[in-house]
Amino acid sequence: MPRNLGDVADYFLPRAGGATAAARRERAQPVRPPWRAERPAALPIVAIPVGDRDVLRAAFAWNLAVEVARLGASAALLAPQGEEPSPLWPESGPGPVGSEVVLTQATGLPELARAALDLAVSRAAESDAGGLVLVRVPPAWLAGANDARALLRWVLLFTAGEPRDLLETYALAKAVLVRHPDARIGVTVHAARRLGDAERAFRSLAAVAARHLGRSVVSYGLLVDDLHVFRGIVARRPIGLEHPQSRAARALRDVARLLLDDARRWHVA
Amino acid sequence: MPELWLSPAPPRRELVRELRARAGELWPALRVIAEEVLGADASIDWVALEPGGRAVVVLVGEAGQDLELVARALAQRAWLEPRIRDWLQLAPRIGLRPEAGVRALLICPVFRGEALAAARSLGPEVLSLASYRCVRDGSGVSVLLEPVGVAPGAQGVAAAPPPALEPFRTGLTDLDLGLTPEERREFEQLASPGGGAE
Repeated sequence: MPRNLGDVADYFLPRAGGATAAARRERAQPVRPPWRAERPAALPIVAIPVGDRDVLRAAFAWNLAVEVARLGASAALLAPQGEEPSPLWPESGPGPVGSEVVLTQATGLPELARAALDLAVSRAAESDAGGLVLVRVPPAWLAGANDARALLRWVLLFTAGEPRDLLETYALAKAVLVRHPDARIGVTVHAARRLGDAERAFRSLAAVAARHLGRSVVSYGLLVDDLHVFRGIVARRPIGLEHPQSRAARALRDVARLLLDDARRWHVA
Repeated sequence: MPELWLSPAPPRRELVRELRARAGELWPALRVIAEEVLGADASIDWVALEPGGRAVVVLVGEAGQDLELVARALAQRAWLEPRIRDWLQLAPRIGLRPEAGVRALLICPVFRGEALAAARSLGPEVLSLASYRCVRDGSGVSVLLEPVGVAPGAQGVAAAPPPALEPFRTGLTDLDLGLTPEERREFEQLASPGGGAE
């Protein structure tokens, strides 16, 4: 019996292509990291503003966590517990390739920041290869972001290239930077038809941020909204495992690698 | 010519399949986009789409279930309305328009006075009714479907409301963004032909 959003959408979206169990097992083996970082006290935290019903960006966040895990690092996705079952996430608990979804009872940014720190410390103690804690931040909470420096040191914003999407993304960046001027704001562009469109969108956003906020934003690449993304959302299966050779999966892997590289660089620095 | 007899309804699965075929003839503009959707604690038989982008919750009931069906229709309509935007994210080109709302269509053998009064009170933009009869025609059973009151195909297409500024994907609205007119202008320029900061 169909149960919720993913199942409903299954009626008008094709099912994910069937991969054999053996192939899935093979893909699910984590890749050993090319480095072996010194164990940090806490994993870096990346805050990702995602709306309550933004299934697309939630799917990107979750798939990024899986890709980080596929790169051999620890990956946890922390989110405030909303309605159950959530339209955004798979059930909480261990997920593919050692990734993990953790839900918290936090009802505001300070509580969420504390939960994120706790998770970052505990996962650092368990991880030899470093990793990341990705945290879904309800965008409305950013308005009271004065007390969440630990959480908002590093923020990743997903944006489409349309002017209205860029406006919204700029506003989120501004909400963070006016309260935490030293925050690192990363931007990943999605829904671009061509690479040039994505580059133009990023440059436009970066230029406005520089003019009005006196700060630049950092590019974290490009994600592709191809059909595999939607199939993955419907099936609640990570794109990187279901369709590892798809453009969407390769793009996610690139973004995950950029994040991990920066996490490692910061730790060493 | 074989004689026609009123007949008990066939098993539900068969009945619903027959009704769907009849509904397609009666309201050809309605397009079924989902079946057996588990909505507010119970199944929605179909979710259909009107040409104007309005979603239609269709519930099929048996004799004596008409009043229950009215309550269920309102519950399922309330359940579906906030989910339209989620569906749109997954199938942006399906044609749904969240601002067009959701209507319910109830299909039942007979509607009693209270159900009719409820439908009248709610109006065809919220609830419309159709009745069915099962008829034995020789060896097979045919289902006859007819609208009660306002036919959705005739008047049920939602008129396009005036364009309103959509909330952002994050759920924030323009008022929440806290931007200055100068900042907004930067992005308006991007939208204009030839716009685009380099």
